[in-house]
Amino acid sequence: MKIGSVLSPPPASLSAAAAAHCRYPYGPWPHHPVLAVSHYHITAFMQQQQQLPARHAKMENRLPLSPHHILHTGCRNAKVSRLKAAFWESIRSGFMKNNTIQVTESPSTIQEEEEMLPDEFVLVEKTLPDGVVEQIVYSSGGDVDVYDLQALCDKNLICSLHKEKIVILDMHLGVLLAGWLAPETIVKASCCSKKQLHGSSIAFHKEICRRSDLAEGSADKKLIGMARATSDHAFNATIWDVLVDPSYQGQGLGKALIEKLIRTLLQRDIGNITLFADSQVVEFYENLGFEADPEGIKGMFWYPRY
Amino acid sequence: MAAVATSAYSSCIPANFLHSPLKITNQISSPPPLYISTNPSHVNPSHLQHLYALCNHSCHRFPKLDSDGRVELIDVSKLRTALSNSSVVVSVFTKPELANDLSSTAEVGTRSMGIGGNWIQRVMPVTPDNGKLVGFGRAVSDLGLTASIYDVMVIPSLQGRGIGRRIVQRIIRMLTGKGVYDISALCSEKEGLFFKACGFGEDILGSTTMMYTGTSSCPDAHQTAIYAGRKLLLSPPSRQ
Repeated sequence: MKIGSVLSPPPASLSAAAAAHCRYPYGPWPHHPVLAVSHYHITAFMQQQQQLPARHAKMENRLPLSPHHILHTGCRNAKVSRLKAAFWESIRSGFMKNNTIQVTESPSTIQEEEEMLPDEFVLVEKTLPDGVVEQIVYSSGGDVDVYDLQALCDKNLICSLHKEKIVILDMHLGVLLAGWLAPETIVKASCCSKKQLHGSSIAFHKEICRRSDLAEGSADKKLIGMARATSDHAFNATIWDVLVDPSYQGQGLGKALIEKLIRTLLQRDIGNITLFADSQVVEFYENLGFEADPEGIKGMFWYPRY
Repeated sequence: MAAVATSAYSSCIPANFLHSPLKITNQISSPPPLYISTNPSHVNPSHLQHLYALCNHSCHRFPKLDSDGRVELIDVSKLRTALSNSSVVVSVFTKPELANDLSSTAEVGTRSMGIGGNWIQRVMPVTPDNGKLVGFGRAVSDLGLTASIYDVMVIPSLQGRGIGRRIVQRIIRMLTGKGVYDISALCSEKEGLFFKACGFGEDILGSTTMMYTGTSSCPDAHQTAIYAGRKLLLSPPSRQ
């Protein structure tokens, strides 16, 4: 990937500062150039912004700087791809400070490589009696706060995440999309460790957030559902965990989440979508188009005999 | 079979000799000298495509078979993507002349190139560069909790010699080294027997394996559909 090859790591001081700002919970995924590039983009852009404020005034409107914005805008991946494009423009214009030549190379090629388009739409919207508008927003491609996820897991008393096994693979490394877990998968409580989620950086998640827009206009997002899948991004995908906040269960959120996930996977031509379902949820998935043990295909697990 | 198992285990080399060539001896048939690599860069995608064709293995769970019962050729670019996104890639190489030979290794010596001329060929170690790809296996993982093993294959002429089992064992070792113990493998009836011999079993938690076959309850004219082998997968209907 040409972008990855050109970039060099940001200077140490900058990355320290950026680390505080950058809400990337998982750190750069070492092998994937897209992730590494994104990380560098965020830090490098901040530097540029300070040096050339006038030139980048236009970009400032589009690109969020504060971590707060990054978290709450939700259309993060559009911003990431625009960030990349803006990054290149800023680098180029930075080098040509005295040059008034317009940057002609369009970022369209970069955008083509960036496959993930932001996906955010409002599922349900209702106005609470105190005037606060509550929206249940579906978003994919956003960052998920690990601690939010942990809280969600705790609420659902998800224990062994093997219980509800749906596999969906996500092509966007490092992007954690939260989905939701089916309410029936209540097993022993287990916490999502940071390590596990880092590993799931190749996982696909769909996120359901409750967003209430307060009077000041700032949005407050609360994670209420998550679905996770891993994939090789070419042929196979496995959905592992699906969680929904108990207070929001029964509204069809789980179904919508998985449908959206499947749609996205099929869009990427990933044909083998697998999951390991608990007996209580087999019917749930059958209604969604899954078939149990198709043509004798079975999933086996490793049990070492010592 | 027990004799094979014990001899195979007795010649197990510890993990720090990951890339050295292995010699497995058993009473029934001695497998050729192998080079087992866990380095994905050793795999040439077009050779891999050829290996898939030789083993008649498809990446689609329900492949389309032609009149000879052979699967269609796999897309190399997709294969490349799959490889780059697989956490563990194991490839097995052997000497090219031994890969094509259906007979045991002892008969290779008859192709002598002069007085004792063949011994150089025999003692030269196998490397990914001079060897032929004969076995493969990969696993996709989130490197935290779970992993799935896919596409374990060995060319037909070298099957039944414990190579497949060594591939699976290497994959498991790589994964457990990274702390992943929940390793799954999707398999048909035949493959199930193989994995059972490798230490896999049905889920003790009693979960059901389900795959998406796209039969939706309310078909929609605007649904997108893709072919995965011979299955036509329909996208779930979008609702508001």
